[in-house]
Amino acid sequence: MTASPSVATPTVRATARRWLYWVIFAVAAITLALVAFIGAGAGRPLGVPLDPQGPGPAGAKALVEVLRDRGVTVTLTESMADTREAAKSDAATLVLHDRAGILDADAAASAARIAEHLVVIDPTYDVLSGLAPEVAHAGAVEGVLDADCSLAPVQRAERVVGDGQGYRHIGDSQDVTTCLDSGDSVASLIQVREGGRTVSVVGTTAALSNERIAQHGNAAFALGLLGEHPHLVWYVPGLGDLPGDAPDIAELTPPWVTPVTVLLLLVVVAAGVAQGRRLGPLVVERLPVTVRATETMEGRARLYQRSSARLRALDALRVGTVQRLAGMVKLPASAPVEQVADLVAALVGQAPQSVKALLVGTIPHSDRELIELSDRLLELDRAVADATRP
Amino acid sequence: MAISSRLAALLALGVLPVIVVPIATGGGVSPTATMLAWIGLVLALAVLDLAVAGSPRAVRIERELPDRVRLGEPATATLLLTNRGSRNIRALVRDGWEPSAGAQPSRHGLVVPAGERRAVTMTLTPFRRGERRSHHVTVRSFGPLGLAARQATLAEPAAIRVLPPFASRRHLPSRLARLRELDGRTSVMIRGQGSEFDSLRDYVRGDDVRSIDWRATARRRDPATGTGQRVVVRTWRPERDRRIVIVIDSGRTSAARIDNELRIDTAFESSLLLAALASRAGDRIDTVIYDRRVRARVQGTTGSELLARMVTAMAPVDPELIETDWTAVPALVTSVTNRQALVVLMTSIDSPGNSRALLGVLPQLARRHRVLVCSVTDPTVKEASRERKDRDGVFRAAAAERAMLDTARVSAAIRRLGGDVVTGTPQELPPALADRYLALKAAGQL
Repeated sequence: MTASPSVATPTVRATARRWLYWVIFAVAAITLALVAFIGAGAGRPLGVPLDPQGPGPAGAKALVEVLRDRGVTVTLTESMADTREAAKSDAATLVLHDRAGILDADAAASAARIAEHLVVIDPTYDVLSGLAPEVAHAGAVEGVLDADCSLAPVQRAERVVGDGQGYRHIGDSQDVTTCLDSGDSVASLIQVREGGRTVSVVGTTAALSNERIAQHGNAAFALGLLGEHPHLVWYVPGLGDLPGDAPDIAELTPPWVTPVTVLLLLVVVAAGVAQGRRLGPLVVERLPVTVRATETMEGRARLYQRSSARLRALDALRVGTVQRLAGMVKLPASAPVEQVADLVAALVGQAPQSVKALLVGTIPHSDRELIELSDRLLELDRAVADATRP
Repeated sequence: MAISSRLAALLALGVLPVIVVPIATGGGVSPTATMLAWIGLVLALAVLDLAVAGSPRAVRIERELPDRVRLGEPATATLLLTNRGSRNIRALVRDGWEPSAGAQPSRHGLVVPAGERRAVTMTLTPFRRGERRSHHVTVRSFGPLGLAARQATLAEPAAIRVLPPFASRRHLPSRLARLRELDGRTSVMIRGQGSEFDSLRDYVRGDDVRSIDWRATARRRDPATGTGQRVVVRTWRPERDRRIVIVIDSGRTSAARIDNELRIDTAFESSLLLAALASRAGDRIDTVIYDRRVRARVQGTTGSELLARMVTAMAPVDPELIETDWTAVPALVTSVTNRQALVVLMTSIDSPGNSRALLGVLPQLARRHRVLVCSVTDPTVKEASRERKDRDGVFRAAAAERAMLDTARVSAAIRRLGGDVVTGTPQELPPALADRYLALKAAGQL
């Protein structure tokens, strides 16, 4: 089919050719930008806080990798069953970092029985009450803390970045070590020993992160705390640990609901496209310029009104009336007002003085007087018109 | 490319299989798979439909269209679509007329078999004067299933000239009757009407005794008897072959809308009525539409051709937002005629400030010609000057009164400078101008 030259719509091929350059340009630009970004490491996300696999500033991959280098087997788990499986072989350290707040007190208590040494990082209230009921939250802590207890990792570290949470020992149990005091008996590390098992509550989250593990004695502190045993299980509770067997909403809905919803969405889009496609280009109406003729008059009226130009407005009304009256009593338009007033007064039987005052003399002092005068002018106009009508 | 609502409906129909099929197969086929299959089916059908649809680019368009139409009257426009392709075209056609062309219906469904030609007709009822255009025709060609369509816009410009309505022609018969009275064609001849000597004839009872020509009576002898005095009267007729020059101002003041009609439209109406009347009276009319340049000019035309030429010239002229250059008008009038003429200026005399340029050239014009200034007055101004119920009303009335005084002042100035003024509302002005013309004619002042 040969396209006649009168066809205004470009062919698919012509459109594609015209857009080809831009498409190539856009693809190249996006690729270049991506390469540049990735190369510069910019835009990399901070990562999930203390994610053992997270290479971002907030992750804890550095710590885990160094531990692995030093011969510690590190196992990452996401469910209680896996954790139990991984920790049962020999002496192990279990790190519990419940960032999603999944475990309840009972589950946390059962976790404490898995390994000899349990390190709890930034525990929730539930976890803390299950594991170490004598330790309580004491708010946020900032700054660098000095070693102040006999624990080996802390001794070696000397100085540790304390940014994170602080805890307070509120019971009277003897077998408790509080370390890294930041004043007011708020400690960032509290170790509780109970029946051969140790629970360490650690609040210094910043000291373990990739970003800051190299500062001060953070590395010595973290490695010493977690590398105590040849085996480390890093347990981050996942969705599988949620209690309860109630069917969720996905199990309750019939299986066709999602496909039907998707299909109906597509229908809406298709209907919109079908109705929205224009039958040819828009036609422009060439509108001529038009101006409302009364614009000047209205503008002047508003001007009078805004400035309360009562006398000026009344003068306009008076001059108009006088000219009309002069015409009605057959006087020339140039006749003096006094003459018109006298003649009109005689015609309608009013006192010449009052007519003259109405036509020239009286000055309106208020809007009310203005309206009254204008009404009287109109009445006079009508009276003369009636009187002169043959 | 376009898709139809039918495609959306077909897609919606897919809800049934998505629910039924998994149940029927006992869960063998998942709802998601069914949905994807249905979407694939619909898409395949649409693509097939699109592939089979006739090419809209193969359509050749011809138009049948009157080249002019009077405003407010309908015209029939026909589009002839020839399918030069090898497949039938089930088309939806839209002719791209401007909205003010009033094309009805705006879109047409039809089938053009391969190699054949079909016509679609539409009625154009333009609601604005001037050149109304259509640049293109769009053809959307659906496939046999009506799911998807190919669409192309074919450039096929067309224009129809919408002439001024000349609504004031209803005043023409009565004015023509008055003209005939002037012309001596009625039995009663009254002296003083008309100014050009026509003929001498014998006195018949009923003639005005003042028209008796005593000198001619003295010379007259009855040819039959040689005796007996017959009284001879003179007859008169209005002058003929006078020149009338109409200058229509298309500057910014003519863009004002009064009573839902542009000033320039009223000027056109008045000019047409005057031209129709004066051409019957044997005078010659020349029209110029002018702001800073001559926008249109009708010159040297007489008889029945005149009105047609005038409406055609006026049709495309719209007012422009520029100040009219009055200083060039005397030269313009001179370029039209060297003889003494009646110069009719269609403009506005709203305020002394705006009319200063006009007043400046009036003496120059009035020295050679009889000048008549026509202006439209706004009826709402007069109404406003009587509405004085409250404070707003009184101030508005004052402003209206002031506007009327301004007009009166300019009118007085024009009269002092030797011109004459005709004003009226849009409805009154055309007959008022015609009446003034008749009065001048009767008084022999042309």
